[in-house]
Amino acid sequence: MRIFSVWLALLSVLIAQAQPTFPYNGILPKDVTSVAFTHATIFADYQTRLEDATLLIEKGKVTAVGSSIAIPSNAVVIDCRGKYIYPSFIDLHSDYGLADAAPAKGSEGGPRMRGGSGSESPKGAFGWNDAINADYTAALNFTCKEDVAKEMRGAGFGAVLTHKMDGIVRGSGALVTLGSQPNQCLLNPMASAHYSFNKGTSTTGYPSSLMGCIALLRQSYYDAQWYANGGKTEERNLSLDAMNTLALRPSFFDAGDKWNLLRADKVGDEFGVQYIIKTNGTEYQRLNDVAATKASLIVPMTFPDAYDVSDPYVTRLISLDEMKHWEMAPSNCAMLSANKIPFAITGHGLSERAQFWKNLRKAVKRGLSEQEALKALTYTPALWIGANGELGSLNEGLWANFFIASDNIFNESAILHENWVQGEQFVIDAAKSIDLVGNYELKLPNHIYELKVKEVEGKTKGSIQHVKAGKNDDGAAKMDTLNYNVSISLVNELLTIGFDASDEFYSGMIRLAGDIATDRSSWSGRGQDAAGNWMEWSAVMKAKEDKKEAGAKKENGEKGKESDGKEVVGDVIYPFTAYGSKEKPKAETVWIKNATLWTCEADGKIENGQLLIHQGKIVAIGKTVDASKFPGARVIDAQGKHVTPGIIDEHSHIALASVNEGEQACSAEVEEARVVWPEDIDIYRQLSGGVTCAQLLHGSANPIGGQSALVKLHWGGNAEDMLVDNAPGFIKFALGENVKQSNWYNDGSRFPQTRMGVEQLYYDHFIRAREYGAANIAALQEIGKSRNTRQNSSLPNVHSPRVDLEMKTLWEILNKNRFVTCHSYVQSEINMLMHVADSMGFTLNTFTHILEGYKVADKMKAHGAGASSFSDWWAYKYEVKDAIPQNGALLHEQGITVAFNSDDAEMARRLNQEAAKAVKYGGVKEEEALKFVTLNPAKLLHIDQRTGSLASGKDADVVIWTDHPLSIYAKAEKTFVDGICYFDAERDIEMRKSMNTERARLIQKMLNAKGAGEPVRTPGFKDKKHFHCDTLDQTSQGVSFK
Amino acid sequence: MRNLFFILFTVASLFANAQQNPTVAPAQTRSVLIMNATAHIGDGTVIENAAIGFRNGKLDMVADARTIRLAPNAYDETIDASGKQVYPGFIATNSTLGLHELDAIRPANDVAETGAYKPGIRSAIAYNTDSEIIPTVRLNGVLMGQITPRGGVISGTSCVMQFDAWNWEDALIKADDGVHLNWPGVFHKHNDKGKVNVEKVKTYDQQLREIHTFFNEARAYCAVKEPALRELRFEGLRGVFSGEQKLYVHADDAKSIQEALNFKASQNVKHMVIVGGYDAHLVADQLKANQVAVLLRRLHELPMYAEDDVDLPYKLPMLLHKAGVEFALQNEGDMERMGARNLPFYAGTAVAYGLPYEEAVRSLTQSPAKILGIDSICGTLEVGKDATLFISTGDALDMRTNALTHAFIQGRSIVLRSKQTELYEKYKQKYDGQKK
Repeated sequence: MRIFSVWLALLSVLIAQAQPTFPYNGILPKDVTSVAFTHATIFADYQTRLEDATLLIEKGKVTAVGSSIAIPSNAVVIDCRGKYIYPSFIDLHSDYGLADAAPAKGSEGGPRMRGGSGSESPKGAFGWNDAINADYTAALNFTCKEDVAKEMRGAGFGAVLTHKMDGIVRGSGALVTLGSQPNQCLLNPMASAHYSFNKGTSTTGYPSSLMGCIALLRQSYYDAQWYANGGKTEERNLSLDAMNTLALRPSFFDAGDKWNLLRADKVGDEFGVQYIIKTNGTEYQRLNDVAATKASLIVPMTFPDAYDVSDPYVTRLISLDEMKHWEMAPSNCAMLSANKIPFAITGHGLSERAQFWKNLRKAVKRGLSEQEALKALTYTPALWIGANGELGSLNEGLWANFFIASDNIFNESAILHENWVQGEQFVIDAAKSIDLVGNYELKLPNHIYELKVKEVEGKTKGSIQHVKAGKNDDGAAKMDTLNYNVSISLVNELLTIGFDASDEFYSGMIRLAGDIATDRSSWSGRGQDAAGNWMEWSAVMKAKEDKKEAGAKKENGEKGKESDGKEVVGDVIYPFTAYGSKEKPKAETVWIKNATLWTCEADGKIENGQLLIHQGKIVAIGKTVDASKFPGARVIDAQGKHVTPGIIDEHSHIALASVNEGEQACSAEVEEARVVWPEDIDIYRQLSGGVTCAQLLHGSANPIGGQSALVKLHWGGNAEDMLVDNAPGFIKFALGENVKQSNWYNDGSRFPQTRMGVEQLYYDHFIRAREYGAANIAALQEIGKSRNTRQNSSLPNVHSPRVDLEMKTLWEILNKNRFVTCHSYVQSEINMLMHVADSMGFTLNTFTHILEGYKVADKMKAHGAGASSFSDWWAYKYEVKDAIPQNGALLHEQGITVAFNSDDAEMARRLNQEAAKAVKYGGVKEEEALKFVTLNPAKLLHIDQRTGSLASGKDADVVIWTDHPLSIYAKAEKTFVDGICYFDAERDIEMRKSMNTERARLIQKMLNAKGAGEPVRTPGFKDKKHFHCDTLDQTSQGVSFK
Repeated sequence: MRNLFFILFTVASLFANAQQNPTVAPAQTRSVLIMNATAHIGDGTVIENAAIGFRNGKLDMVADARTIRLAPNAYDETIDASGKQVYPGFIATNSTLGLHELDAIRPANDVAETGAYKPGIRSAIAYNTDSEIIPTVRLNGVLMGQITPRGGVISGTSCVMQFDAWNWEDALIKADDGVHLNWPGVFHKHNDKGKVNVEKVKTYDQQLREIHTFFNEARAYCAVKEPALRELRFEGLRGVFSGEQKLYVHADDAKSIQEALNFKASQNVKHMVIVGGYDAHLVADQLKANQVAVLLRRLHELPMYAEDDVDLPYKLPMLLHKAGVEFALQNEGDMERMGARNLPFYAGTAVAYGLPYEEAVRSLTQSPAKILGIDSICGTLEVGKDATLFISTGDALDMRTNALTHAFIQGRSIVLRSKQTELYEKYKQKYDGQKK
């Protein structure tokens, strides 16, 4: 029997399956046959490859798979000889089939929260914040979207986990297939819970920053706990109800970059949740940190296009990390795999299936094994969503979700023919049921031609070479070689062939129609010549060209492009930006000799002194030191040089992903420590200015700002490496024009708008905090205990208090467990705040800026506050019109601990010289002035027992200067942080060179990519009508990703 | 220090009420001789043990003290400046001193007129001699400035002022020294949700064409000496076309600078100066060939690109000096008016990063004087020039040692006090009183 091709015929049958509960208009179709796919290479699962195997499906499910399957008599048999069958892919990060993100609930009437009380409920019995959409249920909003599904099926996907990508808590996701019938597709209506740090379309003013988003999410978890533990007797809150329901599902976190990945995982740890984290493909830049989270990842296949780097000046705008990421992004999966970090792959962010395949294959080329790639697209996502009994492999009983390809799908030339979803057939790129390629003898009545049939870019093309014998004018014999293009088309297994002959046998168009023999070795039929004469014809295959050989040739050709076969890819550097290095510098044993040591201790200045550093600590200092125990110490001859403690910047905003959460007058709950950004180039720049330690402060947008991060400048480390261990807690307060929004040119509406209101705000919050503490402190400790031992959660069935992160922080201040650094300018408000503190029983630790501090130095002394000021800033707004550069000196003379800070990334690297201004303007002694930027800020930050001066036992935070440290001519030559030399003037020169070399290499590679026709991002030309355009590339700018 | 202030305070009290700007010094009547100071001439040379004399506002002697003979009463007054340093008064170029007082206070702001093309806008008439910031700047040796309007495409016409005057007319050293053109930026980089792209500025071509058109029309207009119909905007460029005024082109990146140089040629602009010039060192040869100088952007700032040498801004003066490009320092940017007093330290930073010391002095004295076209009047310690100079107890380019004992503008001994020193004294007295 001739095997019947059923590819198209089946389609209508399967779609016509009716829903059992639905009325049907007509004769009810029934699914009464099974389908057998025979002789295929089948991946029963990602690691089980079966040759010449059969897949049997019935009623949308797999009934059998294997090599010796008995094919039931009711089976439609499809011969899949030479084809590959894979379980369909599963995408865990999708918003497929959901209505476009509608404005969040409660959005009518515009932004509500700017200055509002925040107590109104947006639409009903829900929570107050629009970014918490816990009650959103994807399943309720799901419909099939054929245009999207079609593209995804073309990329091999058969099922997705869909959720609304909007808000911080995004509600539940639904597991759906990419079939055509919603009632069939919806496999699990409540499959997952989804979270992010992105407030999305929420119109609630708060949060306005990343750290605010983190705080809101944490508070929401606490609120949900409180609600479950009795809070619901106080208020009915459907959002919190939903939060608790969500907690029972696998939790997915749409994080973004590698740092947000770490931040998200930390939140999860706090609440006993291990998130599955969607990333942006930068994880390879911090593999160890990512591995340490033990998180499972969903990684994208979005790789950046090359940049157009043809103009050397414009190229300077492309940073090293952007160039490196272009090169390394395709290696991400291979590197995750090599480091045993579990991951699934998503196609999200790519709008075209061709791009997905191209990038997936690129990832495999970079070392991701085919098996791992399949696993990340089938088994892994199924497992994580708890659906491995339904999806992810082709074992008996699972959904018949699979696709059929012409070849191993990782080969460039492989074509995805069909994607079957729950037994429903979708043709992607119809397989040619008959392969015509080969060499034939085409026999026409007058002559036998040699016909060659090839596949060129998916099209069948024929050619005939005919040697025509003839005579020259002089009568000599000659041979003319003629080439005919032959059109060949195959429609429903019927051939049409045509070519234009011009030889001794035929002249003009030959048109042939015919049929293919069952064994496919010969063709025959009838046709007409140019004169319209009918004729019989036949073609017999001489030799079948070996397809594999042809493929191999092509591969070789491609490899030839890259020298020596293997592509050179650069190294990951730490941090992944300019001045990062492959190896992180380590703590050294260093013996500094012949230096002028500015100890900032009672010893004062030691001329011609010595300093010994070991294991991150200063182990000895003096005129001479005994270094006999450290024979391997690196000796640094510091003849003519000066050594000081590392500079400490009491007021800095570098290395932060967000600075202000200014929507509410009090944002005590937000923490800068959660948004430390270790890749800020200003870290390195400040090391080059001798800075070793900084307090990263919240901004001054509100009277009660956020909690500070105290960091040391561990360049190349992660946020945890930078944060000072066991650092005392600090919080930023602010007074004056910023908090009352004085310099907004439209009227502000947030309370307070005057200094009078600021005072009341403080009293209100501290009184509330005192009451909160009094009522809850004992119970809070109880909750803390139970959280630490979650498993025996024998929480007493009493009404537990609500953890309020804002009040908890203020309570810490009242308890003297947290110190205040207060942005302040004029004397009235300084005095006011000291009165508030005195009456509430705590001391203000530091007034920062404090430009009128000189007016109230006596009162500050009496209260016990310190001062961290600018050396000479003034006149930038009304409240600093009385600022004077002698401020620091006057405060110092009154016995107040005085620091000079930067509040400015540039000035921070010259703080030693700012200290010199205390000498210039106020006559402060030089050694005392140096303390303004070393020991004194250490004291203000309560870390003077470990840093801030050169003393045995203290942290080796040390700077070697070329000159007198207060002089404009002083340059930092080496900067040590905890004994690690992060800045070295000589190494700096080397790094510049190697960075330049690396950039040059990448630029060449990008130019090659452009030359090879890859898309490039250009310095764009949105309007290209005027002159000068011709000097630059005109290729379309932008990328094809959504 | 304290004693010095106390003495000065006593002297100053004769002229000034507490927390008022000090009074303007009267014209020089008594001749002054400064003996034995190290004199930084401003032209790159230095005289140890100098004798510097001036009368009627002009220098009449600049010499090595060991080589001169003087009649005992040759000068009415002699200042022994042994161990001290004398410098020509420093010049703050591209400055907005006197055009604004407190940054956040809009009513005080006269920096930028609205509109795009306004060469006729003149900074001189808005210059506030009573600005409380100016005395604080003088205290560190900055005694003159080029007062420059900002904003728009052609922001207006600058002037050069000395910093001790009753009103703007008195203050003028040179009115209307040049017109300021802000070159449009070609590229900008933007970050769209983490997707970074570099793009040509949308309106760039349009802006460039407008600039050409404006200059073409203005030149045609100015070819007529006394047009029947006067077009004030075009009148403002007359001096640029005649060569009496400079065209200051504010541009930082190499492409913009190159375009500006092409513009100079195509528009036949006689005198052009680049203001900013972050990339000037990359196109130094072209700048030199076109005799275009640079008012170099603020030194104390971060590099523009992460990959730049971390000290690139600091060493730009050295790079320009090595390449032979004439330049002066300026400090446009955040808090530029109150920060003008730090200009000497910019020069100090330049020294730390490779610029020879006397060249650093020159970048605040002779060099800006030449660029602004006032070098025949001031900018160096040379006989015949204005006696605008100061004495510092130590190196004036280092904040550690910059301490003025005397300063003279046009021979007038100016009062080295400010609102800030007044407040300092006031509160010092408060605390001293508490001690008793």
